Amino acid sequence: MEEMAICIDVAKCMGCRACQVACKNWNCLGAEQTENIGSHENPPDLSARTWNRLVYRETLMPNGDVMWSFFNDRCRHCNPPSCAEGAEDVPGAVVWDDSGAVVYTDKTRELDFDDFFSYCPYGIPRQDPETGRIYKCTMCIDRITNGLEPACVKACPTGALNFGTKKQMLRYARARISELGPNANLYPGEDYNTLWVLPESEESYNLARATSARKHYRAAREPFSGVLAGAVFAVLGFLNFITQRRGKVADTEDNNR
Amino acid sequence: MTNHWIDIKNSDYILVMGSNPARNHPISIKWVRKAVEKGARLISVDPRYTATSREAHIYAPIRSGTDIAFLGGMIRYILENKLCFYDYVRHYTNASFLVNPGFRLPGDNNGVFSGLHGRNTPEGVVDGRYDKATWEYQRDKNGVIKKDMTLEDPNCVFQLLKKHFSRYTLDTVSSITGTPRERLEAVYSTYARSGAPDKSGTVLYAMGWTQHTVGTQNIRAMSIIQLLLGNIGMAGGGVNALRGESNVQGSTDHCLLYHILPGYLKMPRASQADFDHYNKKYTPKTVEPQSANWWSNYPRYSASLLREFYGREVPLEEAYRFLPKIDDGENYSWLTIFDRMCRGGFKGLFAWGQNPACSGANANKTRIALARLDWLVNVNLFDNETGSFWKGPGMDPGKIKTEVFMLPCAASFEKEGSITNSGRWMQWRYKAVDPPGEAKPDSDIINMLYARVRHLYEKEKGAFPDPIIKLRWEYGPKDGNGRVIHIDSHMVAKEINGYFLEDKTVRGKKFRKGELVPDFTYLCDDGSTSSGNWLYCNSYNGHGNMAARRGRHDPSGLGLYQGWAWCWPLNRRILYNRASVDIHGRPWAPSKPVIRWAGGKWKGDVPDGGWPPLSAGRDSRLPFIMQSEGMGRIFGPGLSDGPFPEHYEPLESPLERNILSPQFVSPVIKRWDFQTGTGTLNARATSDPRYPIVCTTYRVTEHWQTGVMTRWQPWLAELEPAMFVEMGRELAEIKKIRNGDKVIVRSVRGAVEAVALVTVRLRPLAVDGRLVHQVGIPYHYGWATTADREYGPGDRKPEVLTFGDSANLVTPNIGDGNTMIPETKAFMVDVIKKA
Ligand code: SF4
Ligand code: SF4
Ligand code: SF4
Repeated sequence: MEEMAICIDVAKCMGCRACQVACKNWNCLGAEQTENIGSHENPPDLSARTWNRLVYRETLMPNGDVMWSFFNDRCRHCNPPSCAEGAEDVPGAVVWDDSGAVVYTDKTRELDFDDFFSYCPYGIPRQDPETGRIYKCTMCIDRITNGLEPACVKACPTGALNFGTKKQMLRYARARISELGPNANLYPGEDYNTLWVLPESEESYNLARATSARKHYRAAREPFSGVLAGAVFAVLGFLNFITQRRGKVADTEDNNR
Repeated sequence: MTNHWIDIKNSDYILVMGSNPARNHPISIKWVRKAVEKGARLISVDPRYTATSREAHIYAPIRSGTDIAFLGGMIRYILENKLCFYDYVRHYTNASFLVNPGFRLPGDNNGVFSGLHGRNTPEGVVDGRYDKATWEYQRDKNGVIKKDMTLEDPNCVFQLLKKHFSRYTLDTVSSITGTPRERLEAVYSTYARSGAPDKSGTVLYAMGWTQHTVGTQNIRAMSIIQLLLGNIGMAGGGVNALRGESNVQGSTDHCLLYHILPGYLKMPRASQADFDHYNKKYTPKTVEPQSANWWSNYPRYSASLLREFYGREVPLEEAYRFLPKIDDGENYSWLTIFDRMCRGGFKGLFAWGQNPACSGANANKTRIALARLDWLVNVNLFDNETGSFWKGPGMDPGKIKTEVFMLPCAASFEKEGSITNSGRWMQWRYKAVDPPGEAKPDSDIINMLYARVRHLYEKEKGAFPDPIIKLRWEYGPKDGNGRVIHIDSHMVAKEINGYFLEDKTVRGKKFRKGELVPDFTYLCDDGSTSSGNWLYCNSYNGHGNMAARRGRHDPSGLGLYQGWAWCWPLNRRILYNRASVDIHGRPWAPSKPVIRWAGGKWKGDVPDGGWPPLSAGRDSRLPFIMQSEGMGRIFGPGLSDGPFPEHYEPLESPLERNILSPQFVSPVIKRWDFQTGTGTLNARATSDPRYPIVCTTYRVTEHWQTGVMTRWQPWLAELEPAMFVEMGRELAEIKKIRNGDKVIVRSVRGAVEAVALVTVRLRPLAVDGRLVHQVGIPYHYGWATTADREYGPGDRKPEVLTFGDSANLVTPNIGDGNTMIPETKAFMVDVIKKA
């Protein structure tokens, strides 16, 4: 299968959380007994039953305006995935699919969770305390290998979530970055199969909270350093992608009937 | 909606006020964004910076309950700066009509219009009623309304409007609404640009406008703006109510409300003794030369309705006698019903698909009222705070006599039928799965109920059995005894459309008995046709079930999709579209024509009547066909509280005075707070230091209405598990409340626990020289799904428990002067930290 990617166009997200519900629905994940602790955000963290979640942040700007940002946190589907390194002792626990999806299997039960967790720079993996199985976003591997887009992408009403080949998604991201202006950037970087187009700098999105466990990060990685800024992007290619995608969506819709 | 959801994309200026579509109508944002991508300006006016404000070019905060002041300021701005679309105003509105010289405006008359009778109090007049003699137009000897096309006569509507709103200066408006002056100017100057002939502006509103004592007048104020700027009838224009429920448009069309019959026919009054008298009363007459006066067809629609109810065997006169009548001077709206129930005035109640114990204003009063019933039937998907009210907080089951029956019913996807969305699209839906257990579609429950009630009347007679026994009931296949076994939605839909009951020639066209009526222009007043709802006559005819159509072609390019489903009336997608062209039939906005006159025919959308354009003279008709004078009403003498909107304070206000006049609240609203001996049951606390904070209510994306469907849905409950109160940092500091604290929101009538959400999205406003704080609470919670209650052996426990009870524990039981919709969007509370 060709390398695929999800591109999260943060500027288009309105924080409706259809993506959170769709993920639980498709993947048959249970709900959590949550509480409101002074935020609309919930569940409070990723978990074995919550594989993506919206992180809200509101800031009062010096001119009196409010900046209210919505960041959809989930596995970055790194290329290469450093968590796979942490699972070398248990072959088959972490599968790095040629679609780019990084998928955990039942074998993750055999891993030492604390050690394994420390390999992920983004604090994503979560263990089911009862079974020991480790979970996270699978990029809907069962859907994408059957010609469907991921459940969250399908549910997103605004086009904030997009899915396509890695090439298409990079093209889309670049075009959007040039549209969105000088602060826009690609997060975490090109070597990932989940790509975020951030309209503002990384600091504006509570990524520290989104990836609270970052300090455990062991396997050193070069963080993305904004090489995209200033590059010239092919808008034509973007349009082409949109047309193709429309065709694809139409096909997908028909498949569903 | 005069227009429809997709049409929002055609707009150049979008005002979102009294609604929060990004949260409450998320899909609609798609069309808003399409408009913005093409260069539209988006304005959000809301007490709170919302997810919609986040999308907007301009955000203006407002004190809840002051929309008329805000919009009145816009009217003044448009008039003072001469930004009207004058051709439109002159030809298509009643701006040129001359009004009785005895008419007085509130500015010259203590804050009220001429003709008010009522009780004088220090707050102004209460329990008032208008004698509308001075609100009449001047007429010539033939009865034709006198007009001044120069719009200069001091008694013409245009000049009266100008004079009336001259009091709504930027400073006055800012002082009432708390909106900073420069934000007002930004909103006004931006929106007024939609007055350019080829531009259109739309307004998206919801319950933030309607749920006020002046709700109807809020919408009137906007309608005046839309007429002044020539936005009605245009693609991307109109006055658009975002409905709060997927089929609320359909249920209103089919007479959910007490004062109407299907298709907005009037519910008869006791004094209207015979059918003729009734028809005369509601069939308007006009001598205006070019007025279509569509309601002159009233007798055709009323006769066809009676035929659907009682068939040909019952003479129309007798069928009319069978209809229930409203006693003169009475209203049977929600608040009145529950007040009467509270005083022991009812034996039983069917709470059908609703949850009054949480959904009605002043929920404590509602809950007490339920305890005074002998029986209560709760028809719902789930048990709720209404069915289980007797074991709710503060209730002593041992002392409650009410016997409760629970009838489980099917959800929308467990039955077949149509829904009508905000854009008036009637869309057919198929059944996906069978209802679980004993649950049945509502229609089958009604069918069973009808069969038994009818049987009892046949056996035991009773006071007036004929209206029940003679009812026609042709809604499904029958058993050997002639009883309908189950309801067939297609048969119901056809009855709604209507049949010819005899062979008949109408306008030269021959029809056979038993044929479906093609559309309402063929309905007759002589009893030869039936129609369960004239507005829907055309939805299921010789062409089949129009609502089930799924055509995806849009030759208009405007998103009319005329082959997709069906839209009332006559599949017309944009109402009043004859106002979208000039008097020669040329579109004001050539780049987005709704209709145009070409080659002796109208092209585009289904026009509001096929008459040629106005320049054709006698053969033409004016665009506002539902008004007897054919013109858009800037002056609206039909309402109970004034022909122009005037700002009054909400029943409960933070101010001691109405900045604009000595009349504090609307003089015509029905007041319960004067009732003595009812303790805090009907209490009001205005300008009261104990309740200094303005409170408003709203919804979140994750929950639906009172949460009966969503609180049981664990994936939704986990997202918004608790009643919260959003408050600004400044208020939190004063109240020593930290984000996440448990607090109590209380009004003079009741209290509700909530989690404090301290946010920068709500900020105090400078109102009448002081700071006013506002808080907001969502309306979806109820005690039945909480951890605090006891769960008996038969009680189901939700997978995700929620926290908190209904927002309506603190809202007031006061209704709008015209519609009686409760004022749940602006009232006074205090918020205290829970000890
Ligand atoms: S984000 Fe973490 S869990 Fe996901 S692929 Fe990268 S290293 Fe693995
Ligand atoms: S891609 Fe699939 S698994 Fe990952 S967040 Fe979306 S729905 Fe969940
Ligand atoms: S569904 Fe789309 S718009 Fe809604 S929160 Fe998720 S990413 Fe944002």
